[in-house]
Formats: sequence, C-alpha cells, structure tokens
Amino acid sequence: MSVHTAPAAPGTLERLPTLVRPKVDPGDVVVPDGYAVDACVVGLSFPTGMGFADDGSLFILEGGSTWPTRPYLPARILRFHPGEGRVEQFATEVLGGPRGVAYRDGAIYVSVKGGYFTHIDRYDLETAEREVVVDGLPNGGWHEPGGPVFGPDGLMYFAQGSVSQNGVALPQGFTVDLAKHPKAHDVPGQDVTLTGNDVWSRDPIAPFPFLTRTAAFKPFGEPSTPGEVVRGELKCSSGLWRSRPDGSGLELLAWGLRNPYGMAFGEDGELYVSDNEYEEKGERAVAMDPDRIWRIGTVSQPHGSVDKPEWYGFPDFAGDGLPVWHEKHLPTKGQKALPLIQDPPPMAGPAVYLAPPHSCMTKMDFCRSDEFGHRGLLFQCQWGTLAPLNSPRPEDLTHGFNVTCVDVTSGEAFPFAHNPEPGPASHHPGRGGIERPVDCKFGPDGRSLYVLDFGAVKVTDGYLLAYGHTGVLWRITRR
Amino acid sequence: MSSTAGPVLVELDEEFWSGRLDRVATWLGNVVMTQSTFHRMAGDTAEKITEPHIREYLLEISEAAGEHEAAIGELYRIIDREPPTGRRFSAAVMARVQQAMGQLIGKAGGAPGDEWNHLRQLLLVNLDAIGAFATAQQLGLALGLNEFAESIFPIVREKEKHQLLIQEYMLEMGPQAILYKGDI
Repeated sequence: MSVHTAPAAPGTLERLPTLVRPKVDPGDVVVPDGYAVDACVVGLSFPTGMGFADDGSLFILEGGSTWPTRPYLPARILRFHPGEGRVEQFATEVLGGPRGVAYRDGAIYVSVKGGYFTHIDRYDLETAEREVVVDGLPNGGWHEPGGPVFGPDGLMYFAQGSVSQNGVALPQGFTVDLAKHPKAHDVPGQDVTLTGNDVWSRDPIAPFPFLTRTAAFKPFGEPSTPGEVVRGELKCSSGLWRSRPDGSGLELLAWGLRNPYGMAFGEDGELYVSDNEYEEKGERAVAMDPDRIWRIGTVSQPHGSVDKPEWYGFPDFAGDGLPVWHEKHLPTKGQKALPLIQDPPPMAGPAVYLAPPHSCMTKMDFCRSDEFGHRGLLFQCQWGTLAPLNSPRPEDLTHGFNVTCVDVTSGEAFPFAHNPEPGPASHHPGRGGIERPVDCKFGPDGRSLYVLDFGAVKVTDGYLLAYGHTGVLWRITRR
Repeated sequence: MSSTAGPVLVELDEEFWSGRLDRVATWLGNVVMTQSTFHRMAGDTAEKITEPHIREYLLEISEAAGEHEAAIGELYRIIDREPPTGRRFSAAVMARVQQAMGQLIGKAGGAPGDEWNHLRQLLLVNLDAIGAFATAQQLGLALGLNEFAESIFPIVREKEKHQLLIQEYMLEMGPQAILYKGDI
C-alpha cells in the first residue's frame, strides 16, 4: 500500500474538502516576531509522533487507532523529505499503531501501542526489515507508550503509561479497555499492599448493567482484600525503562507515571518526561490535577545499577505532590478517590514544571540551536483539553492547543506558537490555525521547528470524535 | 536543506477525494437497504403482534425507523451525491426474505407462531442496520466530514435503544413461543 500525495495548488488550503477543518492558514498561527510559519504536509490522519533521520528526512507516524480508538485508519510510517516536498510510505504498523520514533545508526525505533502489550520495533532503513526489540509492556488501556529516545549514553529510553485512567479499570475507558481488552489491568513496578478501597461501578458489558467491584491492579470486575499484596514486575504499566538498542539490558528506572508521552534529553544530559493529569469524571474522579514535566532522577545512575525504581505518584498522588483525596482534588463530577496503596513508596519529584489541568502535554524537544534562538528551552506540545468530557470546569475548556517554551531550570514558561483566540482553530469560524499540537522537533539545520498537529477533535460532555485527514505538519523558521 | 517546496496534500486532491466520496455513496446504498428493510419489517411485525403494549412500542419504533430512513437523504446531500434508485425495492424484497427466514428458523427450533419469529428476526435486521449506520459514521470521521458523522450519532444511539427493547420482548416472549407453542 502506498500513500497518495499531490502538491497543493494555489488556494487549496483555503478550501479543503475536510469540512471540519476547511482551512489551513499559517497566518493564523501566532509566533514571536522574527519567525515565519508555513504548512508542509496537510491531510495526515491522526499523526502521533515524528523523528528526523541523519539525512534530514522526517519520519511521521500516522497513529492508526488513537484518541478515540475509532476509526482505525492506516497505521503508516511516512517519510517526508523537506527539501523536495515529497512524502512516501515507509511501512505500516499493527493495531493500535505507532506512537513514537527515533533514529539511530541506520535504523528507526518505533514504539507501537499494540493490543494488550506495547512493543518497540526496529526498522532497518536500507531493507525496511522489522524486528521487535522490546515486547510485553502492559497496555490495553487508554494511555500511551512514551519515546523511544536515545540518551547521550547510547541507550534507548522508553515508557508506557497506565492502563487505567484514574487508578482502577472502570467503564469510563470503555472502548479501549472494557470493550476490546477486558482483561487489561495496571501492573505495579514494586510490590504494593492494597488498602481494599475497591471501586463500585456498573458493568456495561454484562447482560444487565450489574453493580460490580474492581480493585487497583486488577481487571475490571475483580475485587481485592485489604492487605493483599500485588507483586511488582519489571514490565509494569506506568513505567519508564532503558535498554541497549537491541532490547537487552532492560532496566526499570521509574514507575507511577500516568501518561509519559513526551520524552526528551536536555543538553544537561538529564531526561525530562511529560505526564498528563487525572480526569475529573467517573467512579474515581480527581479534580484540578496539573499536567507536569518530571526530571527522572535515576537516569544518572550507571546502567544496570538501579535496584529500586523511583515512583512518581500514580495512582494515588497528583502532579503537585498532594494525594488525590486531598481537598484540592475533590471532584464536582464523579465520585471522590480513596487511597489504593497502603504505605506507598516515597514520591519522586517535584515536577520541574506544572501546566494548567487538562493542557494535555504531549511530545517535546529541546532547542540546541543558537540560530533558532531560545537555546536550552524545552519546546513542549500541549495537545489541548478534553473538557467538558473529563472536567466540568469552564476554565479548563481552553487549556492547551499551543507549543509552550519551558525553562526547566526555573519552571517558567511562555506560549511560543498558538492561535489568536483560545482553543483550537476550528472553534473560531474562518480561522485556519492550530488544532492540536502533538509533537515538535527541531530540524537538523537548526533553523526550523517542525510542529505536528493531530487535527480536529470534537469533544462533548459524554464522548469525543476525532477526524481523519485533518492533521498538519507545520514549520516555524527563524527569518 | 531547502525549505522552498510548497505544501504536500495527503489524499486530499480533488480527483482522489471524489473517488473517496463515491465509495461513501456506495456504502450509503447499503444503509438505505438495511434501514428500509428494518422499517418495513418493524411495521409488519407491529401489525402482527396482538399484545397491545408490545404492539404500541413497535409502532413507535417503526415511526422512528421511517425518520431514520429519511435522514439518509441528507447524508447524500452532504457528500454531493444522488441516492440510488432501486434500493428501496430491494429492501421490500429483503424484508419478505427475512420474514420467511425468521419463520423457517423459528419453526425448526419449535416455535410455530409468526409473532415471535418475526420479532426475533427483527432483532437481527436492526442490528444489521445499526452496523450500516455506524459504519457510515466512521467513514464521515475518516474524511473529516463533521456534519455527516455527527448527524448519524443520534440515529445510532436511538436505534441501539430500540435494539434493547426488541431484545427484551423477544426474550420475554420466548418461553411462550417455544414451551407453550402459542400463536405468539
């Protein structure tokens, strides 16, 4: 299967056939003085990530089954040649689709969401031969693989988010876990003792919607007993690992990361990871949890020497370090959370940056170029809120939808690329700016920042719909 | 690396897109046929049912089914295509075939009465129509056609409610149909 492409005739971007996003207009993207914006590729379906090869070509991932999981469009790995304005198909992946890509020594490494398990695939760029180098990372739920990225040590770093949205597999993630993966559950990275605070909910997949009881770290409908111990595993959910590029030497560095989708090494050699907030909905709801960026402390330890991973709070602590049952996090939509883990491990952190709740931080890159400016700052995509679905608060309706510059040393930040009005462009008739930035990467020439825009998503208080063929690759260049 | 090349369209140029819309229109023909079949069968089944409550509910379903069938015309309008002729005639034939099949299978299983066999077959035909509509919705999502996709959502939702109701009465009436071999 090949991808059909064509050069855009003049005026085409003003009247696209995708009625939900009829216009793409670089003039509607606000950037600082001295920078210019253009659209490079238009019509991508559910793009999820990208990465440059050493020849300057850019691998773009079309995610297949994403957010939400339907429709499942081709999970393609595309290759864009910026100088030629040409896009070709390199490979296709399996369900749920590719999420992150990194180049290393003549190959690309691709994280793939999979079904019950996430895997990392290596593709030889000459032969396009595919080899699974890491497999069996617990998934089947809503959250995503992070990375892979390569560290200055030559090792591969990658992550996997939590299976459950808020600590217990519940009907709120229905299409992903209950309908398709009813046996999916979180797995801890260390031994944990359960409090027995199981959660009651209706069972939407029963002949009648029975009330049923579900425990943390168990499939939907399975209860626990207070004091029950669940053994930690190397291949856990909410985990972050490193290995050699061939997958050997797998080492768990951290767990308790809810959705560590963005990963980037700074020039300081530290690994920074973005992480998304709990949702204020359902039978274990948590309000006002900030999105955050963590600096992973165990990275500095020699490979193979980490005997105790750091814990970043999931499922019992929010990004601000407070327990999810703290007064600040009590929900107005849904039932309040209770502790799940007895005597939890010490929480790592604090976060180097906290963003407004539901900004939905995704992928990111550090600027290493004086020519582009802002060298040393972290350019961070904020995909944008899913309120009113996952938050009833009006102030959450416009969080995100931009590329934010973060100074990881001071915690200060400012929006670098955004729309003239809050929210996605499609909320403002006639506008053709940003919908949902999902990844940004600096080009090898040091002059341009490429921003991958997932495309149009409709959110209501009960469901969300995502539209194919509405994704865009933007380029921001220093004049 | 040069940055002078213009934007690349992925599957959005006019000729390619027109072909995609033709494929959507072809699928809508199936939506017409399955929904029209269901509409006719719902009306026929309501007429055959003697129990007054079930009869009333099925008449309501039949009326809503007609509205859902009419809404397909609007979907054709959104994609600028003409509805095909002949699919409704095919649906009339299909409705008869489905009813006959329902009676055949039901009687082979020891349920001699028409009423229950029609109701049981109605369950299967509605499921087919739900799938046809929901698939059309996925096509709208795939092609960024928000008005198309979002107008189908409430239809699928209402048809799924109907499906639950038909299933409940099919199950309630099953023992009488099989054990008592009544007319129902």
